[in-house]
Amino acid sequence: MAQRSSNSNLTVSRRGLIKVGSLAGLGLADVLRLQSALGSERPDVNCIFIFIIGGMAHQDMWDLKPDAPSEIRGDFRPIASAVPGTFVSEILPHTAKVTDKLAIVRSMSHNDPDHTAGYHVMMTGQHPGTGPAFNRNIANNNVHPSFGSMVAKVATKNGSLPPYISIPNFLNSGGPAFLGANCSPFVIESDPASPEFSVRDIVLPDGVTSDRSVRRQAALRKLNAYEQDVDRLGKQVQALDVFQQKAYSLMTSQSARQAFDISLESDKVREEYGMTSLGQCCLMARRLVDAGCRFVSIENGHWDTHRKNTMSLRDLLVPPLDQALAALITDLGQRGMLESTLVVLATEFGRTPKINHMAGRDHWPAAFSVVMAGAGIKPGIVYGATDQNAATVTDRPVSPSDFAATLLHVLGIDPQTTVQTPVGRPVQLASGGRVVQGLLT
Amino acid sequence: MRRHSRLKFHSSLGRTIFGVLLWCSAIWATRINADERETVATGGATPVARWLNDVAVLQVEPKTIQLHGLNRRQSIIVTARMHDGSERDVTRDAEYQVANTDIGKVFGATFVSQSSGETSVRIRLGAIQTEISVASQGVESPPSLGFVRDVMPVLSKAGCNSGGCHGRAAGQNGFKLSVFGFDPIGDYTALIKESRGRRLNVASPEQSLLLTKPTGLVPHGGGVRMSVDSPDFEILSTWIRQGMPIDSRQPSELVGIRAVPGSRILRFRDLQQIQVTAIYSDGLERDVTSAVAYSSNSPQIADVDRSGLVRSGEVPGEAAITVAYMGHVAAVRTLIPRPDAPVIPNHTGSSTIDQLVWQRLKTLGTPPSELADDATFLRRLALDTIGRTVSTAEIREFLRDTSLDKRSRMIERILNRDDYARFWSMKWSDILMVDRQKLGDRGAYEFRRWLHHQFATNRPYDEWVRSLITATGDSGKVGAVNLFRGVDSHDGLARVTAQAFLGVRLECAQCHHHPFDQWSQDDFFGLAGFFNGLQRQPVGTGRTLVYHAGLRETRIPVSNRLVPTRVLGGPAVTSLDGDPRAALADWMTSPANPWFARMAANRIWKHFFGRGLVESEDDMRTTNPASNEPLLDYLAERLVEQKFDQKELIREILESQTYQLSSGPNDYNRDDEQNFSRRIVRRLAAEVLLDAISDVTEVPEEFPGQPPGTRAVSLWDNRLPSYFLEIFGRPERTSPCECGRSSEPTIAQALHLMNAPEIEARVTSSTGRAARLAQSDLSEQQILDEICLATVGRYPNGAEREIAHDLFTQAPRSEAAVDLLWVMLNSRDFVFVR
Repeated sequence: MAQRSSNSNLTVSRRGLIKVGSLAGLGLADVLRLQSALGSERPDVNCIFIFIIGGMAHQDMWDLKPDAPSEIRGDFRPIASAVPGTFVSEILPHTAKVTDKLAIVRSMSHNDPDHTAGYHVMMTGQHPGTGPAFNRNIANNNVHPSFGSMVAKVATKNGSLPPYISIPNFLNSGGPAFLGANCSPFVIESDPASPEFSVRDIVLPDGVTSDRSVRRQAALRKLNAYEQDVDRLGKQVQALDVFQQKAYSLMTSQSARQAFDISLESDKVREEYGMTSLGQCCLMARRLVDAGCRFVSIENGHWDTHRKNTMSLRDLLVPPLDQALAALITDLGQRGMLESTLVVLATEFGRTPKINHMAGRDHWPAAFSVVMAGAGIKPGIVYGATDQNAATVTDRPVSPSDFAATLLHVLGIDPQTTVQTPVGRPVQLASGGRVVQGLLT
Repeated sequence: MRRHSRLKFHSSLGRTIFGVLLWCSAIWATRINADERETVATGGATPVARWLNDVAVLQVEPKTIQLHGLNRRQSIIVTARMHDGSERDVTRDAEYQVANTDIGKVFGATFVSQSSGETSVRIRLGAIQTEISVASQGVESPPSLGFVRDVMPVLSKAGCNSGGCHGRAAGQNGFKLSVFGFDPIGDYTALIKESRGRRLNVASPEQSLLLTKPTGLVPHGGGVRMSVDSPDFEILSTWIRQGMPIDSRQPSELVGIRAVPGSRILRFRDLQQIQVTAIYSDGLERDVTSAVAYSSNSPQIADVDRSGLVRSGEVPGEAAITVAYMGHVAAVRTLIPRPDAPVIPNHTGSSTIDQLVWQRLKTLGTPPSELADDATFLRRLALDTIGRTVSTAEIREFLRDTSLDKRSRMIERILNRDDYARFWSMKWSDILMVDRQKLGDRGAYEFRRWLHHQFATNRPYDEWVRSLITATGDSGKVGAVNLFRGVDSHDGLARVTAQAFLGVRLECAQCHHHPFDQWSQDDFFGLAGFFNGLQRQPVGTGRTLVYHAGLRETRIPVSNRLVPTRVLGGPAVTSLDGDPRAALADWMTSPANPWFARMAANRIWKHFFGRGLVESEDDMRTTNPASNEPLLDYLAERLVEQKFDQKELIREILESQTYQLSSGPNDYNRDDEQNFSRRIVRRLAAEVLLDAISDVTEVPEEFPGQPPGTRAVSLWDNRLPSYFLEIFGRPERTSPCECGRSSEPTIAQALHLMNAPEIEARVTSSTGRAARLAQSDLSEQQILDEICLATVGRYPNGAEREIAHDLFTQAPRSEAAVDLLWVMLNSRDFVFVR
């Protein structure tokens, strides 16, 4: 309903509707009837998008090749998982227990071994274009809008939270490109695992008591109200008023403040996610989505394992991810949120089949894996396959634009939606992509 | 709705009527009449009887009709000139009578040839009539069609080769055409040879996918693009029947198109037919009214349908109708004045700018706003011209001053401030992409310093552009050569210089013919040729020696075709001794260059008005005309007359009443954004806002690695980490325009101004303005005055007085002063310039 209502006057969200329903004394059946009368039975779908920076070694985690020679298969053994016949790496013991909720896509590929390009293509669905190869500078996503920005552009906003939030920092390819600042993520530049965690600018600065803030805000409102008919001054002036109100409600709204206050979670829950940056970011993402945010992107870095691949993955990188991902899936499931939350684990590319002389693996875009779950993604499946060395895709290939189209489709956005660049060139959100039906329930 | 049901009818009859349909003139007649009825039925013009007596004379286009072949068409448009001098399209109201109906007939307002010979058409409206002659020949041999000349225009008009459909790099559903038809031979091959002949079936033309797909007779992902009874369909099917020749004879080249009327004033809910003629190199002309693609740049003001019929709405303003046919474009300008226009008072100044703006507003019936008051004027003048406000003492003095020429004197004073060069070199650093990430510290610093020097000395614009384009030397010493480091390919330089200095956007033409302009790949790479041969030699850490090694061959990638180096629209340059960039600079900066001065004038205009006369400011093309052409012409002329002295032109603009109008709209100009009947309210740029916070709080911002007191506007390092500048839209400097700068409000901005500890610390600082005022012996009223003058450049209004009263009653003086400053920093009038 929400996605479609951007074109109509219907802006009631499902959550809002249920609230209305319970307030007005309507039964659930009435609410459901009303919902379908409003045009859809689908709930708003939100997204938690985890991006692994550096390139995630698919053959060491999701697509193991135990029969390959040792310089290819690496040091990790496959273990059985919740889905009979589906094996993941031994370094993913927690995730192995929730594979019945996941779709593991083993047949991703593109053709650019450059970090920046890989980052861009996997966060937007579009290659950033030609240019000198390798680590070229692509300024913050100035080529195609990121998925989160697309959502901010077209999806209905729920509650007082911004529709698109990044944590614990701005993701370099997570910008709005030509969609404009209005579609930029609200960036929480703080690590929720840190004891000093706070969201920038939403709490009052030191020395300003809440009484004083109320006084200031009342004065500002009085001043703003002094001039009648402000919309005649133009859209920007109007927008400032709107954003000031939103900012204030973000500061004062109980639900927004609570969403940001991770300390409200019990120690038990926090420890289930892991007291790591990634673990706490995932927990924060769950809180934000629950409070009405439509798209949360999380970045996790240092996965560029050109050297000491085994040690890095086993001892440093994978355990926090394994714990966080499994906890997130389990938690969303227990709360009944998994059906309305798409979880995505993505990365720039995979890593070379053959282990190099520094015991590392290098960049490999010709085959890699991503993981999706929830919100109409078919659970418990492995989609696509690679050859005996995990080097090339041999079955049901998925391109980044297919990935984009599928992701948008699941979020209720038509992948063919056309937007215009500043020079007036029409661009489709997921140009050239097809929705991968095999991934959908 | 009606069109749809007609189509259904035909598709159900489908193939049976196909064979006879095209050559049967009886069906022809039915069809055209049906079209005509539809047009009249949905049109909204006033009944003829009401104005028939006002008609003075009829004008007909064309003056004579010359046709070659059977069933050739020539549209007729008839314009009535009224006694009051106004004009009205009466094409659909006139009656047409052919003297000898064996030669041809008129259906609707289109003459269709039937046999060879000469005759005439009498055109009558009420009691007035006129006549045009007809010469028809070659009817006995049916016309033979060619792919390039006849079929490609149909595919283009239907959008088959657009970027979203078969023109996509990968094609669509196995069928690929070159985007916008830049490769006719390739497209011909794709049609004829691929897909095992299913696309075209000579034995049974009606089975050809080329016909069944776009008509929706078989499912088509692109939907129904033409109906079975359209002229487009006729052309495609006739061509298949004739054996699909690539071209019927030695192709004469299409040299241009002509659209009439060139411009027309329309009423509300009026209709105007456009007529388009193709002109070929052999002198032949052909009516292509039904074959061209039409689009309007403001459909809510006037829209256009596929037949070239323009329909105005009920919004006053101007719309340009773009007419595109095989790489050639023309524009028809329509202007819709307000019917209930009030009497527009004359401006009281003597400036030509005002005369031209007022003339325009009178035509449109849009009265301008009042003049802005002194305080608003001063804040606007200072922020627009030098990117900062003046001191509260200066404001007080200016407001006290009662002399008549005080605004002129203030303009002079502002123009002479050092901040002028800081502000304008920042602007040009955006345009020329002075990006530390690309140029390194030294390069970015030197480039910025060079630009600053040009504005500090008010060097004539043509001179500094010439120095820049031809710059040679060590990037650590000659700042300007960093342009060639930031943009390191000859094609990139063609794109950047054409857009920045000529307002010609060649980006599209790098890969295919420009869809809305005249430029081809040859034009693009011809221009790029001047930069081909530039050498970049490393001479030390982060430094490069840039020089040109002489003209060399330039090829188009992919096709690998050689193109001669030449300026846009100019002859090929065959040999040039030394650095060919000198010749480019000569041409570019010459007063005769059709774009250079206009582009500069338009950029300056936009700087002060928030909207270019041509918008976007760097997109100059026939199909994107200025909202006030005479004004842009005048400004460009002035720039040339004043030998490109930018300050002279700025002074003239600032002195005009147009610049000094209030932003508050009246009852009529609320929606006006393109005719400058009022000021457009704008947000301060990120750097200007940050500096303003420093000025207002009296606590300067500190930038890492920069000397204390450095202003954000002066920063040469565009990548200096600053959350503030980032969220308020500092540009990335990755495109040669000012479009990277964002001034859209966001939640993050609002939150930051309200709550950022950095800003709070400055508002409350013991050495800041609020503390200073609180500790002084000024009264509360005087403190309020000072704070208002500092933040919003005027004395307090009623709300501000009330707020101050509340705050001073509720809290101690020192706290109240801080809170008052906080409120004003978050206020609309601080963040925006009125």
